[in-house]
Amino acid sequence: MRPTMTTLLLALLLCLPAPAAAALRVVTTTEGLAALAREVGGDRVTVTSLSRGVQDPHFVDANPVLAVKLRNADLLIDVGLELEVGWLPPLVNQSRNAAIRPGGPRRLTAASAVQVLDAPAEAVDRSAGDLHPGGNPHFLADPRRGAEVARAIAARLAELDPPGAAGYLARAGAFTARLDAALVRWKATLAPLAGRKIFVHHRTLTYFLDWTGLLSAGEMEPRPGTPAPASHLADLVALARKEGIKGCVVENYYDSKGDELVARLAGGTLVRIPGDVGGDPAAVTYEAWLDLLVQRIAAAVK
Amino acid sequence: MIPAFLASLLAATLLAPTPAPGDPPAGAAPWARLLAIPDISAVGSFAAVHDSYDVAGQSPREGTQGPEGKPTFLFRELELGLRGVIDPYLRADLFIAFSPEGASVEEAYLSTLALPGGLALKAGLFYAPFGRLNLLHPHTWEFGDAPLARGRLLAAETLGGPGLDLLWLTPLPWFSELQLAVQSTDPHDGGEGRLTGSAKLQQYIELAEPLTLGVGLSAARRGEGTGAFRDLANLDLFLRFRPVDGRAALTLQGELYARRFRGRPPASIGPEALFQGDGRDGTGGYAQLTWRQNTWLGYGVRYDRAPSAGDAAPGTEQRWSAVGNWYPSEFSRLALQVAHDRRPGGADGWEAILHLEFVMGAHGAHPF
Repeated sequence: MRPTMTTLLLALLLCLPAPAAAALRVVTTTEGLAALAREVGGDRVTVTSLSRGVQDPHFVDANPVLAVKLRNADLLIDVGLELEVGWLPPLVNQSRNAAIRPGGPRRLTAASAVQVLDAPAEAVDRSAGDLHPGGNPHFLADPRRGAEVARAIAARLAELDPPGAAGYLARAGAFTARLDAALVRWKATLAPLAGRKIFVHHRTLTYFLDWTGLLSAGEMEPRPGTPAPASHLADLVALARKEGIKGCVVENYYDSKGDELVARLAGGTLVRIPGDVGGDPAAVTYEAWLDLLVQRIAAAVK
Repeated sequence: MIPAFLASLLAATLLAPTPAPGDPPAGAAPWARLLAIPDISAVGSFAAVHDSYDVAGQSPREGTQGPEGKPTFLFRELELGLRGVIDPYLRADLFIAFSPEGASVEEAYLSTLALPGGLALKAGLFYAPFGRLNLLHPHTWEFGDAPLARGRLLAAETLGGPGLDLLWLTPLPWFSELQLAVQSTDPHDGGEGRLTGSAKLQQYIELAEPLTLGVGLSAARRGEGTGAFRDLANLDLFLRFRPVDGRAALTLQGELYARRFRGRPPASIGPEALFQGDGRDGTGGYAQLTWRQNTWLGYGVRYDRAPSAGDAAPGTEQRWSAVGNWYPSEFSRLALQVAHDRRPGGADGWEAILHLEFVMGAHGAHPF
């Protein structure tokens, strides 16, 4: 039977996105932000992350397929501080969704909710590496800042969906209370280790160190975004031997050859951690991700 | 000379109260006021080239080339880019190129920010929505030069000019965008601009999470005088495999070009024949496979074919190229490219290009 024009049109309509449901469509740039949005939004939101937890959020492809996910977003939550500068701006332009542009009513930049660390106090240039001139964007490794972002998400969802406002605020309150309880547990684990030093690959753990009391002895990258020459690795090995540094911590999306070498030559332990929620099969929620970070890093520096 | 608005913003920033030592910056750096300035970038490219044959006579083309048998250093281009939002309705993108031939405006266009129905309108000077490479600036290419077919069948540099471009992001569940443009395109022989209409349908489909397929279909018609036209068609394919847990990516990309003249004798093509062969109907294209190994290294091979030009015998010219790219950082690149060129009748030649490129200023988007 030859298809008629009507059947062709029906087939095309079936391909079109379903009519808008009652839930708000929230799109986030990272899985960590998606996890917070799910905690706060509950059943009233559908949440999609543009990147995966196993992915380096600095280097997501500006794949136009992602612009389609942004086209009908009711809220876009990004990290900010130029973490997504290499891929998010063209996608927002391609999406034709003017409300999610920077400063738009349906755009929430999570960095605006937290106190930022590592912000240069004076003018910098790229001889210092691929810096984030507005400050370090990896603040979700701090549960205190995670709670602040969750509250900001709840406030924005409440603005966009007033009938659900009470629910969002209540869920945010319950979630941050759970985080507070977990924080007590995590601090109990880490308190005996305060002052111990670790090596990190990139400055992704600045905020983690800030709340745990652990210290950074240096980074595998001599400057952000640059590879480590052999001399730099040799310096780290010498430092590790001198100061008894045991842990080399690296996110599982980085090439860890240099980290492995330093850990082996220094007699330390290489610790691979998920860079974000979803970066490990066990890191299914924000709390589970932080649990993993605490357990693995604590085990390495004991 | 610093424009007045830049000067006032800089002054306002420098005169802003400095946070007391020990006060952690809250929310953003004091330089945040500078964010109101357009994104400014400069892209410079230089090359050293060695050709074993007379490229200008036997395989004339735009871009990197030197005299036969004599290694040559070349300043290729400095591209100055200014990008920013104008007002609640418009953004502007300006690209000015400085090259040994002088300064020229590559693109300068306004785009709407908030049209309904998935629509956007572009007005100004821009590259025609035709094919894939025609829309990309050279510093985003994996290779240091353009495929032969683009120059021989389309335009010596790019098909572009002042005009209007309507873009429609369709409501289909994959990326599907239709562009319709009307422009006055400049022929590369310096002649008068001719009205050109072009259309492009670009689709991107995620076949699996690490695998994206892009298919573009383009057509253009350019007026060539009373009752005469140049018809152009293009098919571009793009397939990228990139596992999400790393920087490695394998990309297969290719374009087919076809050109047909209607109502114009080939003899009237004039100086364009220098680049565009015999000025008759023709087809050509290229296929390339690139492998981005990691953050620092990438490799590629390309095969391209196009109608011969210049002093070469009539027929098809073929070319194989291989490139190795080293990225010391995200803002610089050193590429070594070697190409073998085979012209009709069995004549051939080699070319080696060492290509240096840098990006200064605003962080651009990662090319896709």
